[in-house]
Amino acid sequence: MAGKAFRDNAARAAGAPWLTLKTREMLEAWLFVSPTLIGFLIFFLGPLVAIFYYSTTEWNLLSQQATFVGLRNFHNVLLENPDFWHVVRNSVIFALGLVPLNMALALSLALALSRPFFGVVFFRTVFFAPVVTSAIAWAIVWKFMLQGEGGAVNQMLAWIGINGPNWLREPNWAMAAVIVTRVIKMVGLNMILYIAALQSIPRDYEEAATLEGASRWQVFRMITWPLLAPTTLVIMVLTTIGSFKVFDHIYQMTGGGPENGTLVLAFYIYQQGFKFFNVGYAAALALIMFVIVMALTLVQVMLRRRDME
Amino acid sequence: MTKVLLKDIRKNFGTVEVIRGVDLEIEDGEFVVFVGPSGCGKSTLLRLISGLEHISDGELHIGGRLVNEVPAARRGVAMVFQSYALYPHLTVRDNMGFGLKVRKVPASERARRVSEAAATLKLEPLLDRFPRQLSGGQRQRVAIGRAIVGNPDVFLFDEPLSNLDAELRVHMRSEIAALHQRLSTTMIYVTHDQIEAMTLADKIVVLRDGRIEQVGSPRDLYDSPRTIFVAQFIGSPKMNILPLADGQPIALGASVPATATSVGIRPEHLSLGQPSNSTLRGKVGLAEYTGAVTLLHVALDGGQTCLVIHNQGPAPETGAEVGLRAEPGHLHFFDKEGRAV
Repeated sequence: MAGKAFRDNAARAAGAPWLTLKTREMLEAWLFVSPTLIGFLIFFLGPLVAIFYYSTTEWNLLSQQATFVGLRNFHNVLLENPDFWHVVRNSVIFALGLVPLNMALALSLALALSRPFFGVVFFRTVFFAPVVTSAIAWAIVWKFMLQGEGGAVNQMLAWIGINGPNWLREPNWAMAAVIVTRVIKMVGLNMILYIAALQSIPRDYEEAATLEGASRWQVFRMITWPLLAPTTLVIMVLTTIGSFKVFDHIYQMTGGGPENGTLVLAFYIYQQGFKFFNVGYAAALALIMFVIVMALTLVQVMLRRRDME
Repeated sequence: MTKVLLKDIRKNFGTVEVIRGVDLEIEDGEFVVFVGPSGCGKSTLLRLISGLEHISDGELHIGGRLVNEVPAARRGVAMVFQSYALYPHLTVRDNMGFGLKVRKVPASERARRVSEAAATLKLEPLLDRFPRQLSGGQRQRVAIGRAIVGNPDVFLFDEPLSNLDAELRVHMRSEIAALHQRLSTTMIYVTHDQIEAMTLADKIVVLRDGRIEQVGSPRDLYDSPRTIFVAQFIGSPKMNILPLADGQPIALGASVPATATSVGIRPEHLSLGQPSNSTLRGKVGLAEYTGAVTLLHVALDGGQTCLVIHNQGPAPETGAEVGLRAEPGHLHFFDKEGRAV
């Protein structure tokens, strides 16, 4: 009690006679977090709340008139619209193709580039550079490279006698082409995360296991891979979320085609909201996507927790 | 019989030679301690024996077999690391059984050997815990247990006690000594702590700048150091080295060899006397009372500081004039190269 009284008196003496030390410290703390907090409220929480509201309305962007319709948008999306399930299927295929490929490639690169050797920084830079490149520019360049006639990819394939398809115009190939393009663009980020994780594993573990007779594969499988699990989970969650949100590559490279073969959820939401101006319907789709991503994340976290136990 | 024989062992890292020709013979069942200051190459030498580092030149024989090109896992050695290197995601049981598992030892045999080692080290109640749930001393015991389970021919310890507090270090030291008596296996132990070296070793190897400075039993090294470096490294507090002016006798009855340029006197072999009757005189600069003894820092008239262990009666006050008497049988003479004469 005496200590508190002393501190309070000290605070008053320090030039803020009407405030206690505790109140002053609290005000300072709020002052420091306020820029982030204001940004969060305006640009994140505000739109999120708005989406909840818009998803219960029928609002044509052109008419500027929103009519409350309750849960009808959700009913239409889930039960009346076969396109939605086709789009979900495409998004799942995209994620199933992208996430394992991205992670396997990122881990392989990280294993190769986590130890120092001459030129290692150069190689890390080369693989990371696409991450900081404009997604649209990247997609445009790859669109040209993947052209059926005269595209760089098919020209190279021709050198070894393979007649490449029109990658982005054939339903069987378009999805795979977009996935690979996206993986090459983003793999550097996961590579860096894996390199950081690998470098944080003490060398002693590997040496102890080697002394005990473990082969390099056993060291990786029984020591390195389990110790990478927390990083793997983070990478898996982030990459899965990223793959469900993919928009720029689809927008620029295929526009959702051919025959809606690459029409994924984020692009479908964009189409409904800003091409067909069904804002309420698009908002309902966005909320459903939010729930899907959240559910996937929770499943992955629970699996990891069960694994840990 | 697991003798370890090192013949002119050398190790280079790039252009830097860190081990510069080490010859050493370690007998079966011997407890050998590599000791020396930081950077002397003791850990590198241990890693060369383990196979974790490649030998640049020379020959390494373990159990009569040349092992220079034999992989670490097939040398019959087990190592206890300074950091313990316990796998954090595995229980104590799985940590201890890891080596047997990767060598495809059947599960029942594995369980038996882990249980035996756990019983030896009193680890049974901890077998299902993870390393993060253990204290420093317990982790240390698990690390030793992991080494025991493999039934190696040679144990290697790389500063295994340096992460423990002083009390636990003393306790674990005695446990390691007891373990050596029980197993009678060849053990090679690296430390920078000369007390650890003195208390554990059958044979101490003092290293300096990648070379062996002296090999011998703890008593040999203490009583008959071959160089000033060894004389000052072994023994705590360290030996006083005083320059000799023109073969000046510093104690009655001591004859000074002609080539001697300095004399070494251990602090416990100096005693206080009257300044007027002593050839060594000075002022007490600092008196450190440790309970059993008082360590006096005496500033000599010649400018050097001499350490004296005083354990009889009250110690003189700081600033007091004192005379020092050396026991003639405990003087160590060195030539100008620092070698014993």
